Amino acid sequence: MKSRILSFLIIFTFVLSACAPGSTPSPTAAEKPSETAASPEVQTPNAGTNECLACHTDKDHLIATAKPVEAAESESKGVG
Amino acid sequence: MAPLEPWEKVLVDEEAFGATTHGTIACTQCHGGTQSTDKDTAHAGLIASPSSMPDKFCAECHADQTTAYAGSLHATQQGYWTAINARSVPEDHPALEGMFNNHCATCHTTCGECHVAQPANVGGGLFSGHVFEKTPPMTRSCTACHGSRVGNEYLGKNEGVPGDVHFREGRMNCVKCHEGTDLHGEGLTEPQSNRYAGAEMPKCVDCHPTAAPGGDNNPMHQAHGDTLSCQVCHSVTYTSCDSCHVAVSEKSGKPFYETSATYSTFLIGRNPIQNEDRPYRYVPVRHVPVDPESYAYYGENLLSNFNALPTWVYSTPHNIQRNTPQNASCDKCHSGDSAYFLTADKVKPEELDANASVIVNTLPSAVEKYFSAPTQPADHVQHVSNSCTACHSTGIRNAPVYPEDHGAYQDDNCISCHKLPK
Repeated sequence: MKSRILSFLIIFTFVLSACAPGSTPSPTAAEKPSETAASPEVQTPNAGTNECLACHTDKDHLIATAKPVEAAESESKGVG
Repeated sequence: MAPLEPWEKVLVDEEAFGATTHGTIACTQCHGGTQSTDKDTAHAGLIASPSSMPDKFCAECHADQTTAYAGSLHATQQGYWTAINARSVPEDHPALEGMFNNHCATCHTTCGECHVAQPANVGGGLFSGHVFEKTPPMTRSCTACHGSRVGNEYLGKNEGVPGDVHFREGRMNCVKCHEGTDLHGEGLTEPQSNRYAGAEMPKCVDCHPTAAPGGDNNPMHQAHGDTLSCQVCHSVTYTSCDSCHVAVSEKSGKPFYETSATYSTFLIGRNPIQNEDRPYRYVPVRHVPVDPESYAYYGENLLSNFNALPTWVYSTPHNIQRNTPQNASCDKCHSGDSAYFLTADKVKPEELDANASVIVNTLPSAVEKYFSAPTQPADHVQHVSNSCTACHSTGIRNAPVYPEDHGAYQDDNCISCHKLPK
């Protein structure tokens, strides 16, 4: 009886192990994706607050902050 | 077009621009500056025109275009220097460089001035909210600079003169003929010296192959296809200018110019740059606004070799028509009437020497003369070449001597009149 119980446990354990997911090899150091710090040069314009766009998409703000245009009359005459 | 308001010039269309590839790049990556709500702080170190440094800002993605562009005329402006160098001596070049930098260098074009904003020379301003245009908008880019002659001719803005048929009927923009690869200078083996150096680009017969000599039954094309440029028969009145003088204003300190006259012409001259690529004997010629004193503000007699180049120059007017006054009938040119030709009486006396290579000295003979020209003997088939005068100028082997009134045609291919028997 004792041996039958022992045999059952061995078979049960074997069957259970067959259902376990297959192990995958760990990535080598070379294959591991490196975590790179977000480059300040490749941020998207909309990432965070983009003060450039905030101003340059606001017509009223651009009008308010535009430098007065100096009416410089050209002294050129004739067809250029 | 009307000048843009300052705000219009820099207003970005966030939605449209953001949807483009360039819209995914941070503003400061190309334009420098700093993220700040304060304008002065934000604009410290601003690069308003990144593409003025194409190697730094454009080449990473557009290597072919950027590399080629460095040698293109839009970048080098070599056309100016080819003419200036020919008319001057090296000792005067430093003074001429000062002149050039003040008055000519502003026409230099960057990538951005064709693809994203109006050229600075005409006031600048984004085309469409900072969206980059693969095809430059014609009137806001191409003819914004090339306007007073090419633009006005092509678009029909000269009073009483129709626009170019390619625009009127085909609504073709500039790049339909002047392809991007040509404008970028791609395929050039060496930098161009001027716009007419090297192969014709574009070439009319590329789209109109039957108009090439022998390509169709049009007797005009057959008779003149290799001696007249297409524009001789198919362009109409265009603009010429006189005497552009340049100086720097004592009042404002800014450079300015003054052109003494602008007028309409259609004149056929001898081809001053006849070569394998442009074999035509006759071409329309346009007066360019130069005179010996054009740069006098910068020094005395700076164009000391003024007569080295004509002032009536090879021209390709951009107002092509199928039917023109001069192609209405043979006798428009073959009647002894000099109206269409640059004869000496139409050239200023002081410019006669400069234009010696262009002036038409002998008008085309009456058309009847061509039609009555005797056919060549049958055994001359084997002699078809330009060598007719080898025998007929001296009478070798009893060959009839070239008639006196043929003196002006000694370089002609005789078979244009003296056909071979069929």
